[in-house]
Amino acid sequence: MIRVMLLGLGGVFLAGVGFAQDAGDPAAGKKLAGQCRTCHGIDGYAKIPIAPHIGGETAGYITRQLTAFRDGTREQEMMTVVARQLSDTQIADLAAWYSSQQATATLTADPADAPQVCVACHGADGIAVVEDAPNLAGETNIYIDTQLHAFRSGKRVHPVMNEIAAGLSDGEIRAVADWYAAVSLKITPP
Amino acid sequence: MRGLLTSAASLCIAAGMAHAQTADLPANIEKLQSMQSTGVKDFTTVAQTGDYADAIRNTLEGIKMPAGFKIELYAIVPDARHIAVGPQGVATFVGTRKDKVWVVTDRNKDRVADEVKDFAPSLTFTIPNGVCFSPDGFLYIAEQNRVLVFPAAEFFYESPDVAVGQVVKQGELIPADEESFNHTARVCDIGPDKKLYISLGQPHNVTPPDKIQKYMDTGIGGIIRMKQDGTEREIIARGVRNSVGQDFDPKTGDLWFTDNQVDGMGDDIPPGEINHMTKVGLNFGHPWFGGGDTRTNEYKDQEVPVEVTMPVSTTVAHAADLGMMFYSGSQFPAKYNGAIFSAQHGSWNRTEPVGARVMVTFLAEDGTATTEPFAEGWIDANGEYLGRPVDIAQLRDGSLLVSDDLAGALYRISYSE
Repeated sequence: MIRVMLLGLGGVFLAGVGFAQDAGDPAAGKKLAGQCRTCHGIDGYAKIPIAPHIGGETAGYITRQLTAFRDGTREQEMMTVVARQLSDTQIADLAAWYSSQQATATLTADPADAPQVCVACHGADGIAVVEDAPNLAGETNIYIDTQLHAFRSGKRVHPVMNEIAAGLSDGEIRAVADWYAAVSLKITPP
Repeated sequence: MRGLLTSAASLCIAAGMAHAQTADLPANIEKLQSMQSTGVKDFTTVAQTGDYADAIRNTLEGIKMPAGFKIELYAIVPDARHIAVGPQGVATFVGTRKDKVWVVTDRNKDRVADEVKDFAPSLTFTIPNGVCFSPDGFLYIAEQNRVLVFPAAEFFYESPDVAVGQVVKQGELIPADEESFNHTARVCDIGPDKKLYISLGQPHNVTPPDKIQKYMDTGIGGIIRMKQDGTEREIIARGVRNSVGQDFDPKTGDLWFTDNQVDGMGDDIPPGEINHMTKVGLNFGHPWFGGGDTRTNEYKDQEVPVEVTMPVSTTVAHAADLGMMFYSGSQFPAKYNGAIFSAQHGSWNRTEPVGARVMVTFLAEDGTATTEPFAEGWIDANGEYLGRPVDIAQLRDGSLLVSDDLAGALYRISYSE
């Protein structure tokens, strides 16, 4: 399993390089984030359960997701509407703003009990340890659960996650979701 | 008393088991059905005093309402969504879009809650947004893709172990591959025909062509009803985008419901809707119409293949009309008797935010309706939300409860001359 993950990630890292060259302007991103804040918060700490916390995600992750919503390879009824109006520059600016926030997780459970299938990329406390992976700390359990089901069914596409989710039962998915949802997340300005 | 309750519950459970599919029952439900302890003892309780409560009270001082009305903090309830007031007046149940149902108790009857704790902590809920009571005290919880029933919930909630039955088992409310997060916040009600009515939002902004027939056949993007044991399920309304509020007119017995309309067509179209279901089987126009008589871009050149029922009242675009109820109390002035109170959650991406308020709709003899703001002030000078109302319910004294899932609270609106 680990080998599969690493091979998968190799490809993604290469793809990620293209995005990273286009560094955005965080000040411009903060202005644009006015249209994100009702759901994701101006600092990226989500205000509603269906939206993930995005403050402190890497610029690459935010850019890839917004681009995927824009071109239709990832679908969500709200994000699809918002992202299709964004230019490459605006996406880079938003990514620069939200990635400039600092995400800090506080894990009270024993890290040894963390879901082993996730920790190599997402960390035991849900702060990602590889560039391609999002933080999961403090996300609503139903958000994580929904994403894992989407990876399992193929509705959301990612070479590593599709493979990992394929091997998880509904109960295992919920257990993973509950683990990361229970971590406390703090987002602080740069 | 205790023995009486237990035997009453056993009867209910026995009745429930006859219809509920006992195979496939999660282990906890099986244990609860046979009145065994699940071993779960701990409740999560929510503190009701302190800085957080004070900040909410401060917000409420800025809420504007007609003369004589007062709004106060009733309870701190995290992620508070739809409300079911127990018919005995003992406890109020509040759904969430997360994994908890909260029970709110005003023990000393000073019209402020004394205790908020989670309901049935041994059970795993998934988006238990829809809560509703039958007049004889059965609590129904409509989740993303399951419906449970809790006999005598107003008594059993004091214990972590409750009586439970399964009305619709996991995965049978909608096909599992249609599960989503955003448009699967259900609402439910028991109608005058004693049947259970449940809204089934469709998971898209605009339903794509290849899904239309599937949704017509399954009731997704519509409203279904069934007997309280889950049998005789039928689709009673179609062409509904995502209804998150419904109630029966106590005068006529007709179902009325709000509907959330299409995004991405600009700030000012399409309007939100309050609909009147005058008979079973109507189609309310989605996806050919995006709200009111506004055609969706995706289907604008197509002939509409169904007869469409237009809303009785339209509301400002993107305000997100959610929970609604007919007022039947005697506390408010006479003109509110039979009026609809509804909650606007507030827009999510409109240039200038709109909504975040309580609306009132007056119905005229000729069947027309006018909707106007009743309580507002949850959007501050910076265009930031201080609260987002979700649902309205009536207490036995004729005052109203309003839920707010941003602040995580219930408010109580009362009237005195």
